Formats: sequence, structure tokens, C-alpha cells
Amino acid sequence: MQTATHMLRTGQRGARFQFQMATRDLVTSLGRLGLSWSLAWHDVASRYRGSVLGPFWITLSMGLMVLGIGFLYAGLFKLPLNEFLPYVALGIVFFGVMTGTVNEGCETFVLASGILSQTSLPMFTFVWRTVFRNLINLGHHLVIVVGMLAFYGQWKVANVPLALVGVVLMLLNASWMSLLAAIASARFRDIPQIVVSIMQFAIFMTPVFWLPDRFGKHQAILDLNPFYHLLQAVRAPLLGQTVAGHTYVVLVAMALAGWAVTFVAFANTRRRLVHYL
Amino acid sequence: MTAASITCTDLTIRFPVYGADAKSLKKALARAVAVGGALGRHAGVTDVTALANVNLQLKAGDRLGLIGHNGSGKTTLLRALSGAYEPDEGSIEVHGRIASLLDLGLGIDPSATGYENIRLRCRIGGLSTKEIDARMDEIAEFTGLGPFLSMPVKTYSAGMQGRLAFAAATAVECDVLLMDEWIAVGDAEFQKLAHKRLLKLVERAGILVLATHEAPLLKLYCNKVMKLEGGVASEIVDIRKVDELLKS
Repeated sequence: MQTATHMLRTGQRGARFQFQMATRDLVTSLGRLGLSWSLAWHDVASRYRGSVLGPFWITLSMGLMVLGIGFLYAGLFKLPLNEFLPYVALGIVFFGVMTGTVNEGCETFVLASGILSQTSLPMFTFVWRTVFRNLINLGHHLVIVVGMLAFYGQWKVANVPLALVGVVLMLLNASWMSLLAAIASARFRDIPQIVVSIMQFAIFMTPVFWLPDRFGKHQAILDLNPFYHLLQAVRAPLLGQTVAGHTYVVLVAMALAGWAVTFVAFANTRRRLVHYL
Repeated sequence: MTAASITCTDLTIRFPVYGADAKSLKKALARAVAVGGALGRHAGVTDVTALANVNLQLKAGDRLGLIGHNGSGKTTLLRALSGAYEPDEGSIEVHGRIASLLDLGLGIDPSATGYENIRLRCRIGGLSTKEIDARMDEIAEFTGLGPFLSMPVKTYSAGMQGRLAFAAATAVECDVLLMDEWIAVGDAEFQKLAHKRLLKLVERAGILVLATHEAPLLKLYCNKVMKLEGGVASEIVDIRKVDELLKS
């Protein structure tokens, strides 16, 4: 029904129809992931255009932050550097990818308004653009992560396949949050501020800069923090630690429930989104 | 491949106008609370009917000119045909690859170079990286911008930007070309080139829908005319009757 050479748009309504159209949008976008990838690369390249180091500023600024915070907190809390520095590096890098995906999600549709209002490109194309842009950033940050793990010897105990499972779970969750933020921000311009505040709050409430065992007997509180589970699924395997079984339950449940809610929201707002912008 | 065609049946498009008020979450919440949560589906949102029951049938070789005052719905119709706006009632069916040249700025990144922008624009238009590589020389030559293509687009004049956008947008092979009136950009020499390219497209049995205010342009490109007035479309008439339609 919807191919490159045939377009049919009707005023038909109803939940079932809206759901079909939303699914078609998703499927079409998956068939053109290359376009999302090109757009994401263009974003990264144009951000660092004219600078001498180019995208390696991403690596450099992240490296400085990791070293600064690593040395400072290791000193403050009297922690051994060889354990704390890799811990902080992983935490900041992966939490950064998550916050980046969600925060930039607020602008997904707003920035694409020109294209959305005169082509029939699927809306999901721009959601993947935001996700891919953050994956490209992650690629640049991996230099730090790999360097840290190699330097302090954690690579010997790192369980990379399990960490990859964690990365996939993280992306699955971050992408629905990103899309939900995108829809809400297109309609209400207060949302980006709210999202940024929440994500900032989350980075301090989650054990990114500090160790979870500092919580002592209140450890149970951590289990209520979804971001803790998201981070733990990636960070723990790379440090050779075990991931609690219920972390995976939480993450899978969150991905399913989150995508269900977000997809319903998308199906209901899809035909109006272009008018919000 | 089936020949290009456009069919609109009872096409109605309404815009919800979200005022500055409606975009604020606080106001929306306050309103929801004030009426005890019984927030109507369209409360606080005004609907503007941009197109009302438009019927349109075009087949390969048709070159339709859209005329009408500002705000009469020309651009809305073009956007609906491009697939961006969904009908509130009725349907739109388009066979053929669509290329829309509605806005010069589509996918243009002012700080990127001409070459990069051609790539970006063609990617959005549906070409693969390989196809773009294969066509780059031809596109570059067509723009006539020569060494300027390696410079950021923000240094271009409006006319140069027009050349770039037109060249990139029409490099994508299309059967249905939707254009807003900006075709008048560029100097006389470029107009001639653009003219040739458009004619070639129409010869390939494509469809052109062009919105413009200028009668000479209409007579140059179109063989049919339709007038929009407050979202209501007139009958499609032959180009020879354009003067009567303009006067009415």
C-alpha cells in the first residue's frame, strides 16, 4: 500500500487504522535505516565542522571529565584509583548516552519540522536519527572505556557479550523514552525543560559518581531507580561483576511497557504531529 | 511500472491552530483541572479548514497550475500531495515517485558546503550514497556553481541557493513534481536551464503541480489550471482559459 511509487492517504479514523498507520511508519523507517544513519553522521560532522580535532572533541572532553571526576571522588572517598576510575568512566559514558538520547529526543521532531511538512518520510526515521547520533558519540567514547579497562586490567574479567546484552536493553529503553519526549515536546514546549531536569536529577541519584554499597542498609532504594538497573546491566559485566537477575526482569518489563505506552501515544498523535510543529 | 497519476477524492484538511496558550503545559493542565478533567478533545484549539472537498484527477502528462490568493490553500494542497499532511476527510492517492520542491531550505544546512548539501538533499529525496556518487558530477555541473560548491552554503546568494536546491531536488528521478512558486529564482541563464529540465521531466510523462501567482509562468509550464479560494477548488480548466479564471 505504501511503496516508493504509491502513496495512499485517507481520512479514515479509528484505533485499528491509526495503529496500522503507525506500524507502517515504523516498518518503512526500518527499511530506510541508511537514511537515518546518514542524517546522524551529518549531524555529528556538522557540529564539529571547522574545528581542528573534529568529532574527537567528543572523546577529549569526555576523557577530561572522567579523569577530573575520577581523581576527585577517589580522593574524597579514599577509593583505590584502579577500581574507581574504570567504574566512573563506564558510568559517565553509558549514562551520558542514555541522557543524550532522551534529552535530544525533545528536539527530534522540532528540528525535522521542515522535512516532515513536505515529504512523506516516516517519522521514525528521525527517532533513529537521534538514537544513531548518540551511538556515534558512544563510538567515540569507547576509546576511553577500552583504554581504561586495558590500563587497569579489567579486560581480563570483563564479560563483553553480557555487556552487549545490557547495551541493547539500554538502547531499547532509551529509545522509547526519546520518542515519548519527542512527541510531548512537539506539543508542549515546557517538556524539554522538564526532561532535562529529570535527567540531571537522575544522574546524581544513580550511582554514577559514587558506589552503591555506600547506601548501606538502604540499598533497597536503589532497586526502585530504573536508571540504576539500566546502568548496572552494562557496567557490572564490564567490571567482571555479576548482574542481579531481577535487573533483567525490570529492564525487559520496562522496555515492553514503555514501548507499548509510547507506541499508543504515537499512533494517536501521528497524524497531528506535523501540525504541532 | 504504472503511469503517474494523482487522485484526490473529497479531500478536506483542517488545521488545528494551537495558540501560544495551548502549547504551554501549565495552561492545558489548568484548563483540564478547571473543567474537572472533562477536557474536550478539541478544547482550546481552533480548527481552520484549509481545504474543503477538493476533487482532483491528474494523469501522466498533466501540468497543473494552482492559482489563488495568499492563504487560499495552494501550499496546503501541495503538502498534502507530498504525503506530509494527512486528510481529515476524503483521500489522496498518488502513483509515481514524488519530488517536492516546496521550500528552498529543505534539508539545507547553511554551514555545510554545497557538495555536502547536495548529498544530504539527495539522501532525503531517496537516493543511495552510490547513486549520489554516480550523479554528483552531473548535478554539480547543472548548478553551474563550480568552485563555490566547496564553500559553505551560508555564503551563497539566494539565487545560488536556488540553483543548488533545484539541481539537487530534480536530480532525484521523479514522476510527480510538486513546486511552489520559487521557481522564479536564479538569473535568466539558470531559468533557461531549469526550464529545459522541467520540460524533460514532463516529456517523461510525469505530472507537474505548480503553485504560482504569475500568469506568464503558468502559460509557460502548465496545460491546466485550477483556482483555489478559501480552500474551495474550482473546476480544472484548460490553460487557455486562465485569464477568465484569474479575473473571476
